[in-house]
Amino acid sequence: MTHSTTRSIVRSISFGSLALLITASAVRAQDERQDERQAEPVRLESGVEQGGAAAAEKPKDFVMPHVLNSSHIAIPWLGAGLEHEIELPKWQPIHIGPITLDLSPTKHVVMLWFSAVLCLIVLVAAGRGAEKARAEGRPAAGLAGGIEAMILYLRNDILLPNLGHHGEKFVPFCLTGFFMILFANLLGLVPYMATATGNLSVTATLAVLSFIMIEVAGMRALGKGYINTVIYWPHDLPIAVKAPISLIMTPVEILSKFTKPFALAMRLFANMTAGHIAVLSLIGMIFTFAQLLNYSPASWGAALIPVSLATAIMALEVFVAFLQAFIFMLLTAVFIGQIRESHH
Amino acid sequence: MRSLKLSLTALGGLVAAASPLIAQEEHAPAPSGGLLSIEGGLMFWTLVVFVILFFVLSKYAFGPITQAVRSREEALRQAIADAKADREAAAALLVEHKAQIDAARGEAQKFIAEGRATAEGMKTSMLEEARKQQADMLERAKRDIDGEKAAAIADLRREAVGIAIAAAGKVIEKNLDDAQNRKLVEGYLAGLQ
Repeated sequence: MTHSTTRSIVRSISFGSLALLITASAVRAQDERQDERQAEPVRLESGVEQGGAAAAEKPKDFVMPHVLNSSHIAIPWLGAGLEHEIELPKWQPIHIGPITLDLSPTKHVVMLWFSAVLCLIVLVAAGRGAEKARAEGRPAAGLAGGIEAMILYLRNDILLPNLGHHGEKFVPFCLTGFFMILFANLLGLVPYMATATGNLSVTATLAVLSFIMIEVAGMRALGKGYINTVIYWPHDLPIAVKAPISLIMTPVEILSKFTKPFALAMRLFANMTAGHIAVLSLIGMIFTFAQLLNYSPASWGAALIPVSLATAIMALEVFVAFLQAFIFMLLTAVFIGQIRESHH
Repeated sequence: MRSLKLSLTALGGLVAAASPLIAQEEHAPAPSGGLLSIEGGLMFWTLVVFVILFFVLSKYAFGPITQAVRSREEALRQAIADAKADREAAAALLVEHKAQIDAARGEAQKFIAEGRATAEGMKTSMLEEARKQQADMLERAKRDIDGEKAAAIADLRREAVGIAIAAAGKVIEKNLDDAQNRKLVEGYLAGLQ
């Protein structure tokens, strides 16, 4: 892909997202104004209540609402607070037999969609670029070249050595996980956005998928021998030794099957959440210092410390976004390789 | 690949079915839970997004990119194999040429040696011939000289005899007959020699 086409794609993506943002904000602003008019009396009452709360000087928590899921998203706003909250629609829960499923788009659902769309645009563009380059008989350049180098590195140097022989069929699964997590992680670092991968539900689902993939890979590779990964039964020991060992080791084996994906889910969730809490806490220190220094000009100087710290942590977060996506994918590949190689 | 996708879809459905169960157990309505709350809706959407990404990316991103790389690798491997074959052919050709040159050189050497030998032989035989001719010529000359010499001596002797007889005849014409005179002169001439 030539540089000009890459640039035009990037430009169209940025213009598209900007247009989307502006349209959405305009529509929402209108709604909000209507809401304001309707909600006027209520607002007054709540104002009284808020005044009481302010008197008690209860500090406002701005960390947890940012990290947690919610039913609204924030967009850039040239007004008080520089942000505008958009209430997301509430859908009727779906009942499938005894199961009630609330599919309403929450903040993290929207972020998940958004990151998936970005992921699709970037990677499909790269795929098209690679195809075009192949048709022209030259190596891919620009965006396609970069993505190709990334995929190639992950595939040949990380995934295939870990997946073992004939591991090619597991590569798309691992790569999908990597790019989905990566885009969600990176999107969480963009102001006004939220980190879907900082939600345990998301990471747990991904971990369950990994778990299923690992076990399916084991079943396919080992056939009947798969039972040996559940029940510990060493073949080269006398039965008197075998039985007690099996009794002790079988629960450990079963437990280890579940701890692996559990650790996967926890690691990703905790890393993404912790980073955001650290950055927000540092930003919160700006205002703590300001209060301590009675909002004097010195408080501006004092703010330099948390600001520089937050910047450093933010830079680290960019690295962590890649690292955690990589680790999730790597460990899934390692576990798949492990189970396929075991008891041969 | 196909069966893997199928099993993934099927198992994905299983998770989708199971996830709300967990959600119900937790009794956590979507947005209001704490950090560790499990939201069925979000799990469902995660699954949907993952499955969509898996299929779309496999088909339109990973597939073409791996294919492009594979075809490029194949082209490279082909080029390397071709180069290797070319090099081997060149090496074989070189060996062949060297052998040919060696053979040609040997042949040339042989021709030169042969030529030299022939020339040597010719030289020797020619020299021999020349020497023999020379010897022949010498011999013949000697023989000629000897013959001439003998003839000359005989001529001279005859002439001398003639002159002597004539002279003697002139001197002593009267008493002496020819036969007696000749004997006398010849005896004289023998004594002269």
